[in-house]
Amino acid sequence: MRSTRRSESVAGLVGLGALAFAALLVAVALPDAPEAPRYVGAGSETPRRGGTLVFHHEGDVRGFDPHIAFDELSNIGIKLVYEGLIDYDRDTLELVPRLAEAVPEPSGDGRTYRFRLRPNLRFADDVVFCPQPARATAPCPGRALTAQDVRWSLERMLHPETGSPGVTFYELIEGVEPYRAGQASHVAGLRVLDERTIEIRLARPDQTFLFAMAMTFAYPVAREAYAFHGAEVRRNPVGTGAYRLERWEPGVEVHFTRNASFFIEGEPHIDRMVFVLNLDRRAAVMRFRNGEIDHIHRQTPADYRLLMSYPAWAPYREEHPKTNIWGLGMNCEMAPFDDRHMRRAVAFALNTARWSRARAGRLMLTGQPIPATLPGFDPDLPGAHRFDLSRAREEMRLAGYPNGYPEPLTLTMSDGETARFYGELIQQDLRAIGIEIEIRQVSFPIWLQQTGTRRTVLMALQGWNMDYPDASNFLDILFHSRSIHETESENKAFYANPEVDRLLDEARVERDRARRLSLYREASRIIVDDAPWGFAFSDKAMEMWQPYVRNFRPHPVWSSFFRDVWLDLPRRRATEADFPSRAVPALLPFGRRP
Amino acid sequence: MIEMILKRAGTGVLIVLFATTSIFFLAHGIGDPAVATLGPNASPARLQGFREQHGLDQPLLTRYGSYVGAAATGDLGRSFRDGQPVASVIATRLPRTLLLMSMAMSLQLLIGLTLGILAALRRNTWFDTGFMGVAFLGISVPTFVSGPIFLMVFAFLLGWFPIGGYGVSPLDHVGHALLPALTMAIVGASMDARIMRSEMIDTLGADYVRTAKAKGLSPARVVLAHAARNALLPIVTLIGLQLPNLVAGAIITETIFAWPGMGRLVIESITSLDIPVILGVVVVTAVAVQLGNGFADVAVALLDPRVRRGR
Repeated sequence: MRSTRRSESVAGLVGLGALAFAALLVAVALPDAPEAPRYVGAGSETPRRGGTLVFHHEGDVRGFDPHIAFDELSNIGIKLVYEGLIDYDRDTLELVPRLAEAVPEPSGDGRTYRFRLRPNLRFADDVVFCPQPARATAPCPGRALTAQDVRWSLERMLHPETGSPGVTFYELIEGVEPYRAGQASHVAGLRVLDERTIEIRLARPDQTFLFAMAMTFAYPVAREAYAFHGAEVRRNPVGTGAYRLERWEPGVEVHFTRNASFFIEGEPHIDRMVFVLNLDRRAAVMRFRNGEIDHIHRQTPADYRLLMSYPAWAPYREEHPKTNIWGLGMNCEMAPFDDRHMRRAVAFALNTARWSRARAGRLMLTGQPIPATLPGFDPDLPGAHRFDLSRAREEMRLAGYPNGYPEPLTLTMSDGETARFYGELIQQDLRAIGIEIEIRQVSFPIWLQQTGTRRTVLMALQGWNMDYPDASNFLDILFHSRSIHETESENKAFYANPEVDRLLDEARVERDRARRLSLYREASRIIVDDAPWGFAFSDKAMEMWQPYVRNFRPHPVWSSFFRDVWLDLPRRRATEADFPSRAVPALLPFGRRP
Repeated sequence: MIEMILKRAGTGVLIVLFATTSIFFLAHGIGDPAVATLGPNASPARLQGFREQHGLDQPLLTRYGSYVGAAATGDLGRSFRDGQPVASVIATRLPRTLLLMSMAMSLQLLIGLTLGILAALRRNTWFDTGFMGVAFLGISVPTFVSGPIFLMVFAFLLGWFPIGGYGVSPLDHVGHALLPALTMAIVGASMDARIMRSEMIDTLGADYVRTAKAKGLSPARVVLAHAARNALLPIVTLIGLQLPNLVAGAIITETIFAWPGMGRLVIESITSLDIPVILGVVVVTAVAVQLGNGFADVAVALLDPRVRRGR
């Protein structure tokens, strides 16, 4: 027995020795990780056609049916295969025409919009256009897109059997309710005037309607694809976009090829797009640095710090705030947060600059409900929440608790390390004004359920991502009393202020853009003053691309958006002349990759 | 033998049923799948429609009865997330995991048994001590530590393997599976090597091996045909016991190496509370583990007549 133990001890020591030896070998023999791009472009300054662009996302796509899918990844593919009547401009977020000749102006009563399609629009070639699709061995030429297709697509999306999650954005079209109830065979508010013109009439004026028309739910689809594929159209999309779906290996890769009949002459520039799915973000960064992936948009904190520290990558990365908002929501119907002073005390006690430091600066701090990327955001909004301990203590005094709140308050967070991390930061911040916090973590589905139920959750970290780029998508949903329900409430602070409701209702129908934005600013000011949330931050994203990927700029609404992008081919291996070596020498002078 | 197989099958069915039942009730207690699937923006009417469509408005016991009834006929329901039949989702993912696991198991046995036999033959030499030390290390370093390190060193820095993923052609799949399979194999191989070594040391000292040597058989035949065959018995039993570990290892390894198999599927379905897929994975995994253990038992019986005869 003793000799076995001794032999095992010796074996263990040898093992440790082997580990140390292996570590030494690794340190000595391994090449350095590259700190600059491996490949650069040919040096052309004018856009050229050709090449394959490989881009990555960490998750999986659900499908390419624009009426059903509404997640970030599916929308990337949908934006490649389909095209909308109108879209959001990358720089100004103004609406711009795409399939439509122009962005329509509302009629005098503000209820009618007339869309006129461009001439010569065609669906991409596909077997569904063949006389006998089941027997077709090659795609047949796509037919012309008409106003009838636009109406058919909207009606299909609105039909209850489709189960589209987007219906709520279009319920204001006249006649949707009887259509969905099965009392009408068509939506009365959708009228085809001729082959290229469709008129949409609303039940009431609403300035958010055109934003909804730029959402993917409103994209025209080919009815032949639905007739042939049925629900499987999610795997076999047919649209008028710049690309056709070529191959989809679920959970692995999606391949798209250029649509030769795309309506803009000479576009798209890139022949093929490969969408790599499900790769762990660390692995994706490694592939990117090896030149195997051309564009990435998400990194681990460690990779983020490394990539930010490499000067050679500086021209090929862009960090930008996302159009979302995060804050600490307080239930205005439950004590002690039914007292405005208590809420304001919490809002001013949140030391968000410290949060940002702890997140490597990847937070865009804000103190108001409209994200900085949207029109209506006011950088000088009076009273915007900023960390101010003396003001927070003063509000505690006004609330009647100059020596702190007498009992612990519960903070409900969803599961995961990040949620716990923020929970602990909030706990520390509020301790400074005498509020003890008990953190309660629940699964995300439970979190959604409980925070949406009236008089259930006292405080929770809340967030909202934009559906469309307009202030109404944040203020109406999160702070209008109409969004309060007994369960599944979107207004999870259960905040109700008649003056805010009035301003938001007025803004929704106001046609003068400047006045509309001033109404939203005024509503923001009141909301900030009432502090149903302690407004904290918007997330930041960093997108990176290879030097030979030209004319890429991140889009504030669409993820991985490559319109107008071209590849400067043929790419070549980078040399020392392209990116001079780093200033700090490597630890060991050998083993470098040539 | 047939009686043993029938007994084993009966126990297996009970275990699968128990696992499915437990997960069914646990999964339905986590939260509302309608909200988890459709997200916080969905209208109450849409949420209600989803619940009706998937029978979530029915009492839990009724749902359980319907599920077990349908599952018995091979119908595992449809995914909440994308409406696909669960059986077809699993049919896409399962072969990928089986490829990974079979490569991992082959590498594990190849490395483990070879090193175990060599160490026993060179007992108490530097070779023996050194290799057993490395095996000790292999057992001590879990996959979630070795995986990212291997990916960084062998794939990224040295460029010997692809950096994660699945590849596009059958040969490409095998190439992409090599590094994750090796990562999974190391722990099992280290265990197998240690057990094989000690079994071989016992067997090499047995009378029948001495007799075989005395009869003038070649050393290779003595070692492989006589000693190793008997030393294999505990390894075969161990393989059966290692199967659940291999499945658990696959979940971690598939996540690290972006291998789109059952392991990733289970993580994705748990994250999105896709209960039909969670249950489908549980059923298929439980059946696979039971089958694997059953085969191991039969293999032991075939190798060892004493087991076969019930002694």
